[in-house]
Amino acid sequence: MIRRTLYITTTITLLLILSGVWINAQQDSGGLDLNRIRRATVFVIQASDNDLDTRCVGSGTIVRFDGLILTNAHNVVQSEACPGDELIISMSIDPDEPPVPKYRASIAQIDSGLDLALLRIDRELDGRQIDPDNLPILPFVEVGNSDNVILDETLTVVGYPDPGNSSTDAPRVSIAAFMAEPGAGERSWFKLTSDSGISGLMSGGGAYNQDGQLVGVPTSAPITTNTGTGTCLQLEDTNSDGFVNNNDACVPISDFVSVIRPVNFARSLIRSASLQLSVESLTAPVAQTISDEQPTVDRLYFATSVSNNLSTQVIASAPAGTTSLYLFFDYFNFTEDTVYEVRVSVDGVPGQIFSLPPVRWSGGTNGLWYIGSSGQPWSNGLYEFRILVNGVVAGSSTIRVGGVPEERPSFSNIVFGLKDDQGILQGESYILPSGDEASARFIYRNMQPGTEWIALWYYNGIPIGGTGATGIWTSDDGVNGARDDVTIRPDPRLSPGNYRVDLYIGSRLSVTGDFVVAGTPEGVLPNVFSNIEFLRAENAFASPNSSPSNSFPDGANTIYARFDWQQIARGTLWTMQWLVDGDVFYEETSVWNTDETGADFQVRLTAPDGLPDGTYTLNLIINGVLLETNQVSVGIGQLEINRLEEIGGTQLGGQIVDADSGDGIAGATFILISEDYSVADFVWDAEQIYAMAVADTNGRFEIDRSLELESPYSVYVVAEGYLPITQDGFLINEENLAEAGGSPIDMYIPMTKD
Amino acid sequence: MAMEVIEIISESEGLSLRQRWANVFTILTCILLMLTGLNLRNQVLNATRLYESPQAGITAQYPQNWLIDTSGEYVFRVRDMSRSGFKTTFQVSVQPVGSDAQERNLADRLSLDRIVSFTDYRVQPLEMYTFPDGREAQAMHYTYVSTDASPFLESVPTVVRGLDVLTISGGQAIVITFRADADNFDDELPRFEQFLRQLQF
Repeated sequence: MIRRTLYITTTITLLLILSGVWINAQQDSGGLDLNRIRRATVFVIQASDNDLDTRCVGSGTIVRFDGLILTNAHNVVQSEACPGDELIISMSIDPDEPPVPKYRASIAQIDSGLDLALLRIDRELDGRQIDPDNLPILPFVEVGNSDNVILDETLTVVGYPDPGNSSTDAPRVSIAAFMAEPGAGERSWFKLTSDSGISGLMSGGGAYNQDGQLVGVPTSAPITTNTGTGTCLQLEDTNSDGFVNNNDACVPISDFVSVIRPVNFARSLIRSASLQLSVESLTAPVAQTISDEQPTVDRLYFATSVSNNLSTQVIASAPAGTTSLYLFFDYFNFTEDTVYEVRVSVDGVPGQIFSLPPVRWSGGTNGLWYIGSSGQPWSNGLYEFRILVNGVVAGSSTIRVGGVPEERPSFSNIVFGLKDDQGILQGESYILPSGDEASARFIYRNMQPGTEWIALWYYNGIPIGGTGATGIWTSDDGVNGARDDVTIRPDPRLSPGNYRVDLYIGSRLSVTGDFVVAGTPEGVLPNVFSNIEFLRAENAFASPNSSPSNSFPDGANTIYARFDWQQIARGTLWTMQWLVDGDVFYEETSVWNTDETGADFQVRLTAPDGLPDGTYTLNLIINGVLLETNQVSVGIGQLEINRLEEIGGTQLGGQIVDADSGDGIAGATFILISEDYSVADFVWDAEQIYAMAVADTNGRFEIDRSLELESPYSVYVVAEGYLPITQDGFLINEENLAEAGGSPIDMYIPMTKD
Repeated sequence: MAMEVIEIISESEGLSLRQRWANVFTILTCILLMLTGLNLRNQVLNATRLYESPQAGITAQYPQNWLIDTSGEYVFRVRDMSRSGFKTTFQVSVQPVGSDAQERNLADRLSLDRIVSFTDYRVQPLEMYTFPDGREAQAMHYTYVSTDASPFLESVPTVVRGLDVLTISGGQAIVITFRADADNFDDELPRFEQFLRQLQF
């Protein structure tokens, strides 16, 4: 009898499950899980601390399960246009609804020049700290490889289009061009077609490929008082006078988005933010006067190819069929707050494809810059490039594209090196040791005897005398070939600093090149940095308490790296790069601003809870040349694998209801037992649970971890006053997922009263 | 035609002894079955499971079918997942304390920590509590508001009542915590007291 009763009960339960679990389609089953992406998209509000008045708004994207948000820096960093100091994160509970404020966040990592910032959700909306263990696993997107984006590829841009009642918008756009700049090369920006029409408020959101991977951050004109772009909205009575008018703070709104910052720029920021790593140089800089002069540009010229951030050849015109063109210029007194813009017109008609909208400056204070595009034809015509700095035209230059290639005399492909005892040029680089002389090697073409040419040398921007074969080209020099006898021998010697040589043919600049002199001679490359050592400390404020080592197998809270240096002139750009397990998490190019020669330059690497196990590498670089490197192993020497970081599988949610009334059962618990256990094995141990969710007031629940395909989970549903429901073999595979219409899976679970 | 007389004789005799005993036996059997059922139900509802932590030196009997979790900053925590609203929770944690510390110092530390993470946290004065074996401790009652952690669900916050039993033993503080929905707190309290009676540390 008992056996029969049990049989009937079990059968009824299974029937209830099988008949009651309805799976509803939400999205196409393709790789673009738009539902998940929209849920991972947030609305960022920068507010004033005192009364939480809205100061700036923008979009953002959660890129990690623990609440790391990628967005534009100009939306969140305190500035004249955005003076707020609190960051409020709003989310749409339902992707089709406007967002509601849910959390507060802090800036975890930032690169104002790249206009990228990583925010970390760390407080409840009322300001209480969130224990990271209590933060739910938030929906996040997969960060893709922006190098794989191709021209004309269709991307989906997701963000909030306005500060009003709209939910997320997801327009599809095409890549019209890649814009090139120093540092990142050809893929510094993705230029969108002119008809994209993406709201400026979607700036900071995400651009996704067809696999649903985040490949870029749509970026609009940053908000400044000088750009003359964008507008602002009066939303609140910020001065509490009972009226909302011009006397109230205005929320700036950017112009339409026309460029996307490739997400590869954000990888190191995401890496360091997720591991909470921070790097700080401790060696005190020499006091310097900050210039308050206005940013300017000078010496604009064009080239059709780039090598090591230098033009290979200066051109005055380009033939028909040209597929790459770059504008070079020198810049002075720029800062991270400087906004620059390039407007390109063809035969007097503004051309959108090769224009760059106002963007933040990412190139440091002074130097050589270029902007251009390759891989697509430049139609014939007279191109005018105008550079606007902070909304004002700072320089312009024109070039004609069309006609047949000219066979004019030319110099190109300049590199630098040192002559050995036999007079042979050693090394082909852009950094040389200090010494008596330096030589330039270059290629010449179509040079005819009698042609006038000259080499002009500069040291830190000031002309210096040079020696070498300048003057009149002779028949002995040949028509085509390479020569390396253009040499500089300054008196008394080649001092550390920045050098430049301009080679003119007649009065026409044909090629130009920059190089840095630093360090002492040692083989092909100079000896600039040496003796990188690593020491360990108990915490971020303690002094190192160990002898130098390359391995700390029992872990380290803080590591101090120190190194020696010699003959680096102030003003020289140098790069400190840190990697963990081969991935860059910190890279900063800055101006050398301490003594020319010294020992024990100290850098601190730390994390709030101690350094994660891993192998850390420090690279010291000048002008793109790796000059010194060393690495240290912490703990097991490898980062721990966190399965929560993995994306994929499918999302699961649904509603648990009373079988009689159909009303949601608040507080019902949906337990997904790990694939290693069946319901019979389940002894109510949390270690046996893969994921768990509690239903809200409507009986709705969401599993915050993705379910792995082909994994046979077990299900246990309990609610006070209801018969529990159990099921083994709850398996989702490609087949039934496709039948269900893809992720997320929406379940409907009726329960019978006890 | 002669009239036939049909005599109807009423048998007004009472139940036989056998029948009476049968009735009594049936009633007794029903009562016995009900008592057995109630007993079985109570056994199921009050069934416990053993938890032992040799490292912490703690042994406890916690309600069966409550979810046990040992991965947090506590020795162990058990929750009644079938409860609607806030899941009734028993938790035991151990903290190092200084030699001069007393239970009151521990209570202050807990309150200061909770103030920054619990909504509307309010604490009542400490009371004396005596374990079944005579050991003395301090009991701290408090309330706060609990909300669902998921930002994508629509939940109404619930008021939670909590009780911490604090004692310092062997150079470490032991905090035994009971939390329940304010509406269920009094109903669940006997179960927690039973838990305390069976707790060994």
